Amino acid sequence: MTDQTTNPASAGMSDQKSKEAYFTASQGQLIWARFKKQRAAMIAAGVLVVLLLSGLFAPFLSPYNPTVAGKNDDYTNGAPQIPQFCDDAGCSWRPFVYGVERERSMETNFRWVTKINTDDRKYLSFFVEGWEYKLFGFIPMDTHLFGAPDGFVHLFGTDATGKDIFSRTLHAILTSMQVGTIGVFIAFVLALVIGGISGYYGGWIDSVLQMITDAVRTVPAIPLFMAVAAFMPPELSAESRFFYISMILGLIGWPTLARRVRTHLLTERNQEYVLAAQLCGASSGHVIRRHLLPSFTSYIIVDLVISFPYMVLSETALSFIGLGLKDPVNSLGVMLQNVTSADVLLNYQWYFIPVFFFIALVMAFVFVGDGLRDAADPYSDNNK
Amino acid sequence: MLQFAKFVMTRAIMALITLVIVSLVVFSLMELVPGDCAERYLAFKNTQGSSIQIANELEAERARLGLDRPFLERWGSWIAGAFQGDFGDSCILRVDIAQLLGDKFWISLALCVASLALAYTIAIPVGIIAAASSSAFLNNSLRLFSYLGLALPNFLLALMIMLFATVYFGNTLTGLFSPEFRDADWSWDRFVDLLSHAWLPIFILGWSATAFALQTVRALMSDEIGKLYVTAAAARGVSGGKLLWRYPARHALGPIVNSLGFDLNRIFNELPIVALILTLTEAGALLIEALARSNDQQLAGAIIFLLTASIVTLNFLTDVLLAVLDPRVRKSIIR
Repeated sequence: MTDQTTNPASAGMSDQKSKEAYFTASQGQLIWARFKKQRAAMIAAGVLVVLLLSGLFAPFLSPYNPTVAGKNDDYTNGAPQIPQFCDDAGCSWRPFVYGVERERSMETNFRWVTKINTDDRKYLSFFVEGWEYKLFGFIPMDTHLFGAPDGFVHLFGTDATGKDIFSRTLHAILTSMQVGTIGVFIAFVLALVIGGISGYYGGWIDSVLQMITDAVRTVPAIPLFMAVAAFMPPELSAESRFFYISMILGLIGWPTLARRVRTHLLTERNQEYVLAAQLCGASSGHVIRRHLLPSFTSYIIVDLVISFPYMVLSETALSFIGLGLKDPVNSLGVMLQNVTSADVLLNYQWYFIPVFFFIALVMAFVFVGDGLRDAADPYSDNNK
Repeated sequence: MLQFAKFVMTRAIMALITLVIVSLVVFSLMELVPGDCAERYLAFKNTQGSSIQIANELEAERARLGLDRPFLERWGSWIAGAFQGDFGDSCILRVDIAQLLGDKFWISLALCVASLALAYTIAIPVGIIAAASSSAFLNNSLRLFSYLGLALPNFLLALMIMLFATVYFGNTLTGLFSPEFRDADWSWDRFVDLLSHAWLPIFILGWSATAFALQTVRALMSDEIGKLYVTAAAARGVSGGKLLWRYPARHALGPIVNSLGFDLNRIFNELPIVALILTLTEAGALLIEALARSNDQQLAGAIIFLLTASIVTLNFLTDVLLAVLDPRVRKSIIR
């Protein structure tokens, strides 16, 4: 290794090796190499992974059930509790929060008032047993990452019914991601079929399909979402509402994707390498599988990542207006809807904490999508 | 000249076809809502205390409203009315929709167009400067701002401004008119009053539009600036703002004009949410009212159709404008 600088032959070897590695790298490796160079996109990717993981492991990470079952009756509209190690009574090696009491007396004008009892320390510990849940929907567990075994701890405070906002936020990320995933998936399948037919056959079929796609694209999406969502029978259960909303997002979100699929197909179909494969006697199935698909899967993946935040945003907008998911369900839109009252603005600012998670999630997706787009473009290096 | 007329005609026909397809989509959506107008009227009559035989009356009512005709025929008559600005009656409110919407739709449209104008007034100079400068800081902060325009929800911005205004000025800044002008006839005073209220929705609607427009302008300009004709012009001694305005800016103008329609589309998306927060009394608020509360499909359909129609019209106008500005576009279509 040390003589690499002194020995020109060896330097040439390593140079050649890196060249060889470059030329034999798969497309995935090339994209990853280019993606790694972009600092903003890498940071965003880190944030995104953290958010996704915290969504996936939401039941494990959250100390309380995010529904009414996990509410804390003694601490409604409670401020965030910050675990501390020291107070006037001395320090402890374990973090603690103070216990709260509710009281009503002559002094408080006979209203319920929550009082913090600084003598009552509730110690936090890791891997506490609490409410039962199913991790990933099938592993029954009741261990949580942290909690206060003999009391309650609310990192982000509580809402009007005493539900833990921290737990709700984590579950909301999960729900919004699920809605987005199902929506993107449905949109993608539709886009593949419609864009595929359009791009493969070309000619008048292409013109007609493009006209329809463009017409659907012209209608403002959110009003259209609203119109479709308004047909949902109001007595639907929370779960079926969830699936309806995801389906609606998918059914309306396809035109942009379909257009891109079509463009990819049209341009790739007329490339020389396709002609070469056909001249070699390859069947169309073989050409599509081995040559066409690999040539644009990376673009399609990028398109999917880019369209994801729009799905999340649409879900949020719908829920915000009151046509999407409703309160017992925890989605980011529902959480955002909760911040709109003046009472919250003036007195309970901790309701805003989920908003920052929402912004972070959308921003992370946009940055990663952008970075991926640049990385997937083989000519981006030449432009710089 | 003849060529140009031909171009305009083709575009107009294409816009019409788009509108017809859109109207089919909207009309089918209206039809999909469970229950029809006849049932609504009868339900209303029931509350008024007249006793009726449901089955018979329902058929008679359907016949009276023309609901027994086949789907395509009803769609035909709906779209024929729609192009004349007549959307029939709303069966929930039992009033003429055109009358109900009236000014409100034009106010909404004016708000949206104003925010579009605001967006580009800011985006064009700033975007050009950003593209011309090589400062990494300026470019990165612009990129961050653009993404924030997408990620920071409009309503949050609205809420923040409202909170600030309430605490510091004691004025909530909501609504579009002062109470004394709400139902008044149009006059200069009423217009001034509208302007004094409208700046907030315009600003909020324009906020994310500005972010997007900035990104578009910057990307287009930095593509053009690298091209050889700019270098050639610089070699001839043109420099500074003159160079930017006369050469790359003109080329970047085409795609920008083209994207106006989609920008308007995006602003319409945000209209209902902003209307909800600021308690505006215009079409966006009516749309929410019709969809989320009263399930009034006639009114909702009319509003969605009108919104789309204004996008299609804008697309048509920008196409024509582009053809006037750029002869290459004219020729490419007719060929």
